[in-house]
Amino acid sequence: MTTLSSIKLIKKIWLIAANEWQYWLRSHLSLGATGIFLVLILTTSFLTTAHMDSENHLRSHQQSEAEETFLSQPDRHPHRMVHYGHYLFRTPAPLAIFDPGLDPVTGQAIFLEGHHQNSVMFAESTASADLGGLSWLNPALVYQLFAPLVLLLVGHSSVVREREAAGLLPLLALGISPHTLVFGKALALLLFSLLLLIPLLISSTMAFMSGESSMTLLLLFLNYAIYIAIWVVLTLLVSIAFTKRSTVLAAMTGLWFSFSLVLPSIAVSITADTVPVAGKIETDLAMLSSLRKLGDGHNANDPAFQQLRADVLKKYNVERIEDLPVNFRGIVAMEGEQKLTKVLNEFANLRMAAELSQTEHLADYGWLTPMLAITVISRTLAGTDLAHYHRFQREAEAVRLAFVQGLNRAHIETLSYEDDINRNKNEDAWQRARVDAANWQVLDAFQFNTASLTERINSASPSIRILLAWLIALLGLLLWSCKRVMP
Amino acid sequence: MVEAGEIYALLGGNGAGKSTTLLSFLGFLSPSSGHVRINGKDVNYDITAARNVIAYLPESASLYEHLNAHENIHYFLQLSGSSASQEDINTALDQVSLVVDARQRKLSEYSKGMRQKVAIALAILRDTEILLLDEPTSGLDPSAIDEFHQLIRSLADTGKIVLMVTHDVYGACQVADKIGLLQNGVLVGEFMANEGSIDTETVHKAFSSNSSPS
Repeated sequence: MTTLSSIKLIKKIWLIAANEWQYWLRSHLSLGATGIFLVLILTTSFLTTAHMDSENHLRSHQQSEAEETFLSQPDRHPHRMVHYGHYLFRTPAPLAIFDPGLDPVTGQAIFLEGHHQNSVMFAESTASADLGGLSWLNPALVYQLFAPLVLLLVGHSSVVREREAAGLLPLLALGISPHTLVFGKALALLLFSLLLLIPLLISSTMAFMSGESSMTLLLLFLNYAIYIAIWVVLTLLVSIAFTKRSTVLAAMTGLWFSFSLVLPSIAVSITADTVPVAGKIETDLAMLSSLRKLGDGHNANDPAFQQLRADVLKKYNVERIEDLPVNFRGIVAMEGEQKLTKVLNEFANLRMAAELSQTEHLADYGWLTPMLAITVISRTLAGTDLAHYHRFQREAEAVRLAFVQGLNRAHIETLSYEDDINRNKNEDAWQRARVDAANWQVLDAFQFNTASLTERINSASPSIRILLAWLIALLGLLLWSCKRVMP
Repeated sequence: MVEAGEIYALLGGNGAGKSTTLLSFLGFLSPSSGHVRINGKDVNYDITAARNVIAYLPESASLYEHLNAHENIHYFLQLSGSSASQEDINTALDQVSLVVDARQRKLSEYSKGMRQKVAIALAILRDTEILLLDEPTSGLDPSAIDEFHQLIRSLADTGKIVLMVTHDVYGACQVADKIGLLQNGVLVGEFMANEGSIDTETVHKAFSSNSSPS
């Protein structure tokens, strides 16, 4: 093909696309559907941004308040501080303003204390409102669910309209090839898709200002563009396949219901059955049984710590624990915490692995419906998926262990064994068993951050591959079906 | 064979193969036997070249209802690789007698006759050698048919070849120079329209869909 004929061809494709736009601009259905979508996406974007912004400020404020409260505690027995505990708050990821993902349905705060890995809980009473009504609607869901609906309403008649009005023959008789016609229609729909994606660019700009990387935002945009392109191609395929506009609309509506509502629901049910995750009560009972074998870290005479006692006495070359230069009760507390944490982490890792395996299994259903693939990609890149929830739990556990063991160290080094065991004898003994509040400086300021872009891309890559495969397969089908565009 | 400046009407009943013949000229169908030639060249040898010299007018002018007359002509001209100024378009619309007030209205408000006029104006502006008309007067009122015939005649007088398929024997006799009778895809008779030499028995046979060609 010469350069001149290529330019002529591109010009014809543009002309067809421009004419399609002209048709939409004069069609009440297209204008109405687009208008409703834009109002919906802009409203949900504004509301989600405002909500997440307020959550971010609230949780950051609560975090610094919790840290201040802990650090400002007076002189005390160090083990009382272990049980006094501390709170951590999960601040939302910058892209949570676009896709809050699991944020509304998983807890946002966790209470850290010795000997327990507490569950993550909801930080404030208003969070319960997130679970009801229409609050589940967010910009990501609007794109995943409603953008295809608008595309099918606007674009379903693209080819079938020409066929129904007996317009194909005159067009083709002008020397327009079926491919040129379909590419022109596809270009029009793709440009329309870009219009639909403008609110995503606005959300991305705000996320960028909150610290999200431009590469993440670009990837997110590209994946949504691919998802919408899949629906563009599907719409064109159905518009080519049938001869009546009403049949095309019915078929597209059926496809939308199947891909967006029915198949995801079926996939979730099947996954829950085929990859079960043990419930909390069941897990807690099994964990409790393992913890009982460890001994009581509060009791220096617990038989479980006899070997530790022997080892410590040998190390310091003394006969009695009273002669040790360190507080043996603190050593037992530290050892007990270490062993307990190991068991807690084993159970926590098993639970998280089972939950992740369930999520990965569900993501495989992206081969059945692209909506599941984009849901996974969106949450992963936004940093609001299950892996990030687990990441928060792991970071919280690291903070818990560090602060508990820091306090146990103070117990070992700054409080004598004698003062410790006699602390309940009288008021003076009670006062002597307190350590200086300067020892509470075991906490670093906590800020929950999303995983690196590489980690997020690695997590999302199976679903990205699925989405690309959908697009490539459908494009192949579209090229093949162009031959059906005949009078 | 149709000569330049000639109007050839292909008559036949339903299913006689009239529209199929037109589709063969446009290269959408290949004849089961014989050849379709334009300017001596087989259509299927270079379909694009063949389509470039043909203006095709379907039974109901398939123009866009969301556009007005000017926009339709402008769009289809650009698609065919031609162009015309607003003045040229107005001249062509004057030639087909489309009322000035209607030109800026969307085609959804046009009658069938008005749409045909726009389609012919487009054909005039495309300035192709050949006009293929598929049942062009179907559904038009008598005055619109007369107007249409005059337009076709004036185009043929400029040297264009007009091939029209119709089942309107009377109309064909009025406007055509030559009439061909098609039956089951076979040309069963050919007459000069102005010589009054039409064999009514052959015409009757040609319109009888179940009869075999003789």
